[in-house]
Amino acid sequence: MKPARAAWIASALLVALAFGYPLYFLLVTSLQPEGQGLDAGSLARATHFENYAHALAQMGDFPRLLGNTLLVTVLSIAGQLFTCSLAGYALARVRFRGRELCFALVLASMCFPDTVGAIARFLLFRALGLVDTYAPLVLPTVLGGAPLFIFLFRQYYRSLPEELGEAARVDGCSHFAIWRRVMLPLSRPMLVTVGLFTFLATWNDFWAPLVYLLSPEKRTLSLALAGFQRTYDTAVECLMAASAVVLVPCVVVYFVGQRLFLRGVRVAASKG
Amino acid sequence: MRGRYHARNVERLAFSAGRGKLATLAVLACAGFGERAQAAPRGDRLVVMAEQQVLESWPLLEEIARRFEAAEPGLEVDLYDEGGAVGGRDKIKFLLAGELQVDVARIDISEFAAFVREGALVDLQPFADADPDFHAGDIWPFALDACRDARGHVYGLPSTFTPYVMYYNRDLLEQAGVPLPRADWTWDDLLAAARKVTRDTDGDGRIDQYGISLTQWLQAVVPWIWQNGGELVSADLQHSRLGEPEAVEAFEFLHRLLHEEHVASFDASFANQISQGLFQAGKAAFYGPVGYWETYRFRSISGFRWDVAPLPQRKTAATSVAMTVYVVPRTSANPARAWRFLREMVGPEYQTRLARMGNGVPALVDIAHSNAFLKPDVPPQSEQVFLDVLPHARLLPPLANWKKIESLCQSELEGILLVRDTDVPAACARMAAKTDEFLARERVRGERPRAPSGVLETSLAASAIALAAFLLLRRGRREGPLARAEARSAGRLLAPWAAGFLLFLLGPAIGSLLLSLCDWSPLAPLADARFVGADNFARLFHDGTFASSVRATLVYAAASVPLSLALALGLALLFSSEGRLAASVRTLIFVPAIVSPVILGALWRWILDPERGAANALLAKFGLEGPRWLLDPHWVVPSFVLVSLWSVGAQMLVFVAALQSVDRTLVEAARIDGAGRWRRLLHVTLPQLSPVILFNAITGTVAAFQVFAQPYVMTQGGPGDASRFLALYVYETGFLHFDMGYASAVAWALCVLLCLALGVLVLSTRRFVHYRAGGGAA
Repeated sequence: MKPARAAWIASALLVALAFGYPLYFLLVTSLQPEGQGLDAGSLARATHFENYAHALAQMGDFPRLLGNTLLVTVLSIAGQLFTCSLAGYALARVRFRGRELCFALVLASMCFPDTVGAIARFLLFRALGLVDTYAPLVLPTVLGGAPLFIFLFRQYYRSLPEELGEAARVDGCSHFAIWRRVMLPLSRPMLVTVGLFTFLATWNDFWAPLVYLLSPEKRTLSLALAGFQRTYDTAVECLMAASAVVLVPCVVVYFVGQRLFLRGVRVAASKG
Repeated sequence: MRGRYHARNVERLAFSAGRGKLATLAVLACAGFGERAQAAPRGDRLVVMAEQQVLESWPLLEEIARRFEAAEPGLEVDLYDEGGAVGGRDKIKFLLAGELQVDVARIDISEFAAFVREGALVDLQPFADADPDFHAGDIWPFALDACRDARGHVYGLPSTFTPYVMYYNRDLLEQAGVPLPRADWTWDDLLAAARKVTRDTDGDGRIDQYGISLTQWLQAVVPWIWQNGGELVSADLQHSRLGEPEAVEAFEFLHRLLHEEHVASFDASFANQISQGLFQAGKAAFYGPVGYWETYRFRSISGFRWDVAPLPQRKTAATSVAMTVYVVPRTSANPARAWRFLREMVGPEYQTRLARMGNGVPALVDIAHSNAFLKPDVPPQSEQVFLDVLPHARLLPPLANWKKIESLCQSELEGILLVRDTDVPAACARMAAKTDEFLARERVRGERPRAPSGVLETSLAASAIALAAFLLLRRGRREGPLARAEARSAGRLLAPWAAGFLLFLLGPAIGSLLLSLCDWSPLAPLADARFVGADNFARLFHDGTFASSVRATLVYAAASVPLSLALALGLALLFSSEGRLAASVRTLIFVPAIVSPVILGALWRWILDPERGAANALLAKFGLEGPRWLLDPHWVVPSFVLVSLWSVGAQMLVFVAALQSVDRTLVEAARIDGAGRWRRLLHVTLPQLSPVILFNAITGTVAAFQVFAQPYVMTQGGPGDASRFLALYVYETGFLHFDMGYASAVAWALCVLLCLALGVLVLSTRRFVHYRAGGGAA
């Protein structure tokens, strides 16, 4: 083996160790006996697989929680991709008066911290009668709640060759059709990146569900996880077991998905 | 053809959604997301917000609710979970601000005065008077009195509560030959015992067995002041007394235990239940002052015998009490019925069963004296202590703005307790001065006129109309037909974004700008907002906490953004290749980015624990003495930077994706021209990546300026104000100090700072960012 290859493998192992630690930590803690927490000899005590059964039982209706979370996540991702790529296309490829103004608004809205608008937004959803529905969790994202991604799409569409849409436009294709049939298939890397970011933000979002959801049957996974932290009794081992149940599928999906993702990127790059 | 037809339809739909009014959106949303919440208060429904304090208590509450329904035909009791100990108690504030029906809620006694002052609670005295079965004498008098306003009217009923006591490790004390604490033991007894127990058991030169594991939040520190004859505030609640000698002496005693005698250590386990505390691990003889909840947690201790004792005395005996109260919020549809439910929750059955579960001292005197609470067969043996100390148990002063004062004091308090060379009297004087200044401002605040009714709504509507008019006027200008067609289709394509922008960004932004000109507590109706002009913005300039927030945020952003950028890029370059190993490493790098912040926070607190954490253990292997990380004001921001480096997975992924589309022919060409690895990277690859680098820098900056979850979970802004980042300060000011106007002003300041930072970033990097010109190159 070449020394460079050996060094690369060593660094890979080191990085894997450093970044894989939380997973290890999560798993070891989730297998501790009740109420013990971590300490010297934790690893030897990590044999309590029944914690997983307890954790699932405590969370309540797990399939329902998962379904709710998936619904919110999928809607958010789909909406985000639609709105942001559409707006990004308009800002990059359509010439109209006020384009610079719109783009400036997109940039400016990136600076506005979520915390500030929280109460005003709550009052708005309240006025619309949408508290205790998924609308407040999903609508802001669906309607392009993350202006950053519009920026991202705009930059991307600008970097594609000018001729790409021109011919279709001359043939009388609408902008929407150009976006749908020419641009969208080419923006797979962006779609995956934005989708992934949206997934992360939605899957773990805790504040919006906490504030807006009331009915127990509408709860999401992140709320169920928070429920493990009780004033008198935080069952750490169950909390960690539940977290592992929520986390591990994501890791697997990511591991499998990244190959498709990278392949998609390469296809797009060669086509471009 | 079919594809195009379909696309047209979607375009039309997007168009109509953009054009249509809120109603369209609302209808779409409702159709998609199931039934709407019941907006109007309904008399046949009782909404109960409750917290699950122990696992078993929820089914019990459900049982009571079902029974209540059976007794009142046609009634439906909706039990809503607050949502856990993290952030759960702020939910009621949103519901009140939104005027949603809540009939029974639970609040912490420290927020009770604020709720009463803002008129957020229903006066329950008439119901109590009319209820023949209600006997005030059944409830602990001090607890019921804490639920009265200045006129003596009852506004709530106490749930379970707990006085603060001292836990001790019986085996450790006996081994050291120290007598067990008696009911009237003193500070000197504590110090003497602690000296005997404190040792280095494994001979590595570091103390690992402490006399006392001390708690450090204000409610736990206050008893020391009271025991020494001191007070927090004057009897008329107008002045701080923390600068007086009695208080100073108490702080000096604690400082001495920690930094001169070295017989005490901090307990980091309360907020960090991942690891065992010193006491639970058998490494501390005493633990406290702390409440009954630890009894529940310590059930699993099997290695030693433990018990509880009253707090040691000085000039007098004293302790503080933590308590939650069941109340009827002003949005209740039927307070009389809510009162009956309240009576069930403070009734003998529920209280007896809570006591059996170990959920605090029951509010009913008889049950507290029964075996349901005393549990002679389970430790601690001396459960009776929790009742014995009640005659000298006190609550915190009933100030409506107590949380703000607590936060002002807490920052100095941590300075005193955590930092070795603090000048204690000076810190106490600062603490008193800050409190006095705040109390003085609060006196002025109440005298302001209210905003004329509807002014907020009117201004919001006016701004919306102005904006619409502006857009329409622009549209009206003469343009050629082609340009008009282009503009129309751009309008359609941008419609969904525009709707979202107006509704969820601009609207709330203007709303919060208007709020920043007002004085409004989220507990009060919006009509109660008082107009204060630019006062909130003027306050920014002499608010020390704001200044340290700005400093912390800027330092954090300046360090974490470039470092994580470099790390993400480095990792991407190393591991962008194909192959199973690289893919696995990439996956692992991604893990910290998908673990929930609550869990990451707990994990990091554990790693960075100065005494027993993994970080310092690792450093010790290399002969280095690690810093005190999150407990040291100078190290806390660097600690957060370290944490942020760990979450670079998403950024790395963006780089990996970008690297795939780097033009290989250019790299190849450079290689053939004889450029080495580094030069290829520097002159060919990086320029091609530059837009992505800028993108990551912008995302990183936005995220860094708004960092919230990590400090919220890990430090709550401490020690001192060292990690009170701006977003955290905004949240605390609005929802814990009930000062939504000022919170909005701080948020706008954050917004301006972030815009400036992004402006500088974009302008200063302009020269280095290369977009593929016209796209022709690819």
